[in-house]
Amino acid sequence: MSSSESKYRPPTKEILSKEQLEQFQASETHAAIIAYIQRLNESVVGVRLTDPCDESEAVKAIIGVLDSVAHLATETPPVDNAGSRFGNPAFRDFYDKVKASSKELHSRIAGIPEDSVQEISLYFEESWGNRTRIDYGSGMELNFLCWLYCLERLGVLRPEDDRAVVVRIFWRYIGVMRVLQSTYWLEPAGSHGVWGLDDYHFLPFLFGSAQLRGHRHLRPKSIHDNEILEEFSKDYMYLACIQFINSIKTAHGTKSTRV
Amino acid sequence: MREGNVVHISAPVTVVGDIHGQFYDLVEIFRIGGYAPSTNYLFLGDYVDRGLFSVETISLLTCLKLRHPNRIHLIRGNHESRAVTQTYGFYTECVRKYGSSSVWSYFTDMFDYLTLSVVIDDRIFCVHGGLSPSIHSIDQIKVVDRFREIPHEGPMADLVWSDPDAEKEDFAISPRGAGYTFGSQVVRKFLAINQMAHILRAHQLCMEGYSVLFDNHLSTVWSAPNYCYRCGNSASILEVRPGGQGQEIQEGDMYFNVFEAAPENERDGPGQQASLNAGGKLPEYFL
Repeated sequence: MSSSESKYRPPTKEILSKEQLEQFQASETHAAIIAYIQRLNESVVGVRLTDPCDESEAVKAIIGVLDSVAHLATETPPVDNAGSRFGNPAFRDFYDKVKASSKELHSRIAGIPEDSVQEISLYFEESWGNRTRIDYGSGMELNFLCWLYCLERLGVLRPEDDRAVVVRIFWRYIGVMRVLQSTYWLEPAGSHGVWGLDDYHFLPFLFGSAQLRGHRHLRPKSIHDNEILEEFSKDYMYLACIQFINSIKTAHGTKSTRV
Repeated sequence: MREGNVVHISAPVTVVGDIHGQFYDLVEIFRIGGYAPSTNYLFLGDYVDRGLFSVETISLLTCLKLRHPNRIHLIRGNHESRAVTQTYGFYTECVRKYGSSSVWSYFTDMFDYLTLSVVIDDRIFCVHGGLSPSIHSIDQIKVVDRFREIPHEGPMADLVWSDPDAEKEDFAISPRGAGYTFGSQVVRKFLAINQMAHILRAHQLCMEGYSVLFDNHLSTVWSAPNYCYRCGNSASILEVRPGGQGQEIQEGDMYFNVFEAAPENERDGPGQQASLNAGGKLPEYFL
C-alpha cells in the first residue's frame, strides 16, 4: 500500500515557552502575518462599509460558508443553564457541529487543494471560541485571520480581494461572532476590562481606524457623540463597534472604555 | 509578612473572591457583609486589573491588613504578578494616577509576600486557583519559596492558575496555558489525604456569583458583579459559620451571600472616567 507524503499536516501547539514565543516573534511567518494584516489595512483606507465592492467567486463562497456557520448556531439554541458557571454548554454542540461540517464547508470554496484541508481547517474550527472554557478572545480572531492568510497562500484569495476580505468577509465574521457571543454567553477571554477598547475583538478597530484615516470630520473623540455614532456606524466599522459596546455595557449611560 | 505559605484561621470568617479593581463593589461587600474588623475577612486574590479602581482597591485592603492583621487575610491570586499587571491594567492605572511606575513597583513587590493558601478550622482549604499535581499534602506547600514573582510553571503557578473540571477525574492540561484542570478523583484524594472537608477557591467567573461542584466538596466564590461592565453576573461572598466539624460540610456551615453591582458604578463608571481623561490624552487623528 503506497502512501504519498503530504506537505500538509494538522497544526499542533508548538509555542509553549517564553523562548519559543520569542523565536516565533522573530520568525518569517510572524513577519508575513503582520505584513498581510498591514496590506489588508491599507486596502480599506477611506473605504466605507456601504461603498460598492467587487466580490470574486472566492469571496462569495467564503461569505456563504460564514452564513452556514451562523445557520448552525440557529440550529443549536442555548440550553437550560442551571448547572453552568457562565457560558452556555450548547456552545460545545455548536463547536462540534462546525468541526463535523468543516470538510464540507471547505469543499464549497473552489481552489482549495483537498490535501490542505487537514491543515487549514484547524484555524477555521478555532475561530469561534474555546470549547472547554466557552470563552472568546482576540486569539480566536487571530485564528480566523490565519485561516484567511492560508487561503491567500493557497492562491484562493488574491491581492485584488483585499478590500472585500476586510469589508465583506471579515465584517461578516464579526456579525457571526456577535450572534455567538450573545447566544452562548461566551466569557470574554483575556479581556483587559476598562483598559482595553473591547472585551473580544481587536482587528475591527485596526481596520476601522484605516477606514477613518484622512476623514475630514470624524476624529477619535467622535466616539463620544451618540448622534455621530447613529449616523455613521453603518459606514464605519470602528463606530459600529463602539455603538455595539455601548448597547451592551451597563445601561444608564455609561459609555465604553477609554480611547 | 511573617505568615507561612499556609495560614490557619478560625470561623466565623467571610470569604471574598475576585474583585479586579471594582472598588465600589468592594465597598458594597463591606456594606452587606459587615465592616472590618467586626467581621473577619479572607480575600482569595485578584484584587487588581480590568476594573477602574485597582489602586483604591489594593490600597484599602493593604491598610486594613496592616491595621487588623489577624482579622483580614489576603491570599495571592494570579493577577498579583508583575507580568500580568503590565498587560491587564494595574500598571497603566498606577502610571496615570501617580505619574510614574514607582507605586506599581512597590505594590508588586508587596505581592511577593502574600500567602498562597489558608485553612479554615482545619477543614476548609482556601486557595486562589486550585490544586497542583506536585502537591498531594498541604505540608508540601509550606516548603515552596513564595517570595518571588509567580513562575510560569510549578506548584506555585498551579495553586494560582488551576481550575476544576466537573467532567474529568484527573489532572489535564489547562486551556489557560498555565496551571492544570483537575477532576473528581484529584479532589477526593486531596481531601482524604489532608483530612479536609472542602476546597474553596475563586479565579473563575460565575453567573450566579458562586458555583458548587463535586458533591459539595469544592466551591468557587466570585465577587465582581457585572464583570467588565457587560457580563451581567451576580457576585457573592461566602460566610463560614463557626462550630462546623467533620469531614462533610453541613447545611448552615457555609452561606453564599449573593449581591449585585453597587449603585455608585452608574455615576462613576467608564463613561465618566473617559470624559475626565479625554481632556489631555486623546490622540488627535486616526493614524
